[in-house]
Amino acid sequence: MRKSNIYLGIFSLVFLFLSGCAGNETKNETKNEGELDSNIKATLTFGTWDADSMKLYEELDIEGRFQELYPNVSLEIEEMKDDTEYFNAMKIRASAGELPDIMFNETVTLANFAEYLYDLSDTEAAKNNILADGYSVDGEVLGIPEKRQEEYVFFWRDQFEEAGVDVPQTWNEFVEISKKLQEYYGADNKDYMAIALGAKDEWPIYPLIENMPSGISGNGQYWNDMAKQDTPFEEGTDINIAYHKINDFFKTGVFGKDPLGMGYDQAFSIFMQKGAAMAMDSPIGLTAIKSEGIDTSNLESFYIPFRESEDDSLYLPVRGDFLMGITKNTENYELAKEFVEFYFSDAWYPDYISKLASASTMETVDKELDPVFESAERNSSNVVVYTYNGGDAEFQKLVTETRFDYKKLGAQMFEPDFNIEDVFTKLNKDWKKARQE
Amino acid sequence: MKMIEKKQKRFLVVSLLIPVILLLIFVVYPAINLIQTSFLEWDGISQVKEYVGIQNYINMFTNSPNLWLSLRNNGLYLVFHMIMIPIELSIAVMLNSKMKGRGIVKSIIFLPFVISGVGISYAFAYFFSPVNGAFNEILNVCNLDTFIRNWLSDPKIVNFTLIFVSIWRFSGYHVILFISGLKSVSPELLEAAEIDGANSLQRLRAIQLPSMALVMDFVLFDCIRGTLQHFEIPFVMTQGGPGYASSTFTLYTIDTAFKFNDFGMASTMAVAIMIMVMMIYLIKNMIPKLLKKR
Repeated sequence: MRKSNIYLGIFSLVFLFLSGCAGNETKNETKNEGELDSNIKATLTFGTWDADSMKLYEELDIEGRFQELYPNVSLEIEEMKDDTEYFNAMKIRASAGELPDIMFNETVTLANFAEYLYDLSDTEAAKNNILADGYSVDGEVLGIPEKRQEEYVFFWRDQFEEAGVDVPQTWNEFVEISKKLQEYYGADNKDYMAIALGAKDEWPIYPLIENMPSGISGNGQYWNDMAKQDTPFEEGTDINIAYHKINDFFKTGVFGKDPLGMGYDQAFSIFMQKGAAMAMDSPIGLTAIKSEGIDTSNLESFYIPFRESEDDSLYLPVRGDFLMGITKNTENYELAKEFVEFYFSDAWYPDYISKLASASTMETVDKELDPVFESAERNSSNVVVYTYNGGDAEFQKLVTETRFDYKKLGAQMFEPDFNIEDVFTKLNKDWKKARQE
Repeated sequence: MKMIEKKQKRFLVVSLLIPVILLLIFVVYPAINLIQTSFLEWDGISQVKEYVGIQNYINMFTNSPNLWLSLRNNGLYLVFHMIMIPIELSIAVMLNSKMKGRGIVKSIIFLPFVISGVGISYAFAYFFSPVNGAFNEILNVCNLDTFIRNWLSDPKIVNFTLIFVSIWRFSGYHVILFISGLKSVSPELLEAAEIDGANSLQRLRAIQLPSMALVMDFVLFDCIRGTLQHFEIPFVMTQGGPGYASSTFTLYTIDTAFKFNDFGMASTMAVAIMIMVMMIYLIKNMIPKLLKKR
């Protein structure tokens, strides 16, 4: 009796183990070519971490509009708190073969999910998208960007005028005016910040720490090029120069008395209350300001001047964001493809993008710039736009091996004991080793 | 007689069947899967998983300095929670007496444990904020502004700030557990000891503490497990920063899995923490036995 119980137990364990292993395989649905019946009954699933988009999906009735084409298709849209939560969930779902039909990616994550995404090169949406080709992986368009995004320095014009500073055109000017603003307003207000950052959250540092290495020379493929070098952090490289400049900038005290003690929400709300002269953010920052009902007539913006001289070009990284793709877990490939076409067509996209702060990515859809963003064009001279690439699979692999976390590194630069040379030496050593392996 | 035995056995099998199945599905299988993944190089997304033997274990010991820094922080939590146990016990003894208003005090003490940990962490992040933070304001009002520090960003201080929040959150739970243990002691026994002239300290040492050994054992286990797996307070309040100064073992493991896409190594770390909890608990159980033998 006892023996048979033991055998039964072992058998159950082995069965569970084997069935679990079988469950690890991802469903690889083959796509069904051909005409799609407009009466098809199905549910399409997708998720987003953009609260503004989520609101618009309801306000502009995305489901109702798609049902004009496919009356029996319903949409199941899931909202996640932020991109971290979204991608953590997607990683788990990918390993379980449970990705949604439609998936949004960022430029940084696209390479990781490449094997789960269909090529959308033949869609009209991809053909009319000005950024899609720039993010193709091995010639395949795996995600079509719905938003065009660049980073701005938002500033209160009256504070600049009162302190007697002009919009900076070079990196040194940017540092100098920040110091001047801090001295001017910080004398009376010990909580004042020339630049509101919220470095405790680490990610708000990205306009500098992520963009500056490529922004010095306007090389959108900077991370990918780094992956081809053994010691990319050595003296004289753009990343070495950029991180030295940022490290020095972070030690000037222009980010307030304790930038690491505050998160983005708190820092940005202080900026909105004019407790800071500047804040760096994407267009999402302006959406946040407007949603608080704050008067923006005195608000302007400029592009972060990574250049050394005004005669040089001011390289502006532009990234496609929310890259829409179709996952291989979908059981309705043709329908999902129809949805992608609908999403970027006149039936949906112009109304949708016009209500967001981000710019259009479609050749076919023009969008008027908000006056705050228009001021950036006016305030910055000799601007050259380049498409920023978040790093290919090779780069991501090296990041994993070396634990190169540029956002954390940026936050560490605020620590008084932080030694950047030691970090570069270690990173060069680890990078070389990882490449050899 | 045989019939009753048979029925008893059948009853036992039926009542144990569902818990055992659930245990196999939700505990045994994931544990086996975790151990299996710890021998793989896998980014958590790709369908390709490469077997690397014990390489992840070697890397964990030889090439993960921040992991050991994180574990040291867990150690700090453990030490301070252990120091709190006698204090928690004293509060429990006090609240077990016929003190006035003990009901309200018990509720207040237990409240932090009931409130969501994430909510508490957010509240304390604002409490210790450098701008408009209530704690600094209190120090200002009390003319103690020389004591104002960067509570969440100074690597030398940040862990103690987080430990304070952790103690505030979990001590009440331990106090309630101790009170329930004290309540289980027979009042006749205590009365007899009182008649025999034993004072309250003697009654605590000779009767109450031995009677609540099981509760004490549970609190100790909860401290060990809880502090080694500590996560939500540093995650919300500091994200483990600045750098890795306030990171914990679990926080670093999660970063390894989700930020660096190294699920193989993260599984190795999870196996390590499982073994550590078991080992510390076994050592804790062995010490009294060894002392008794001597």
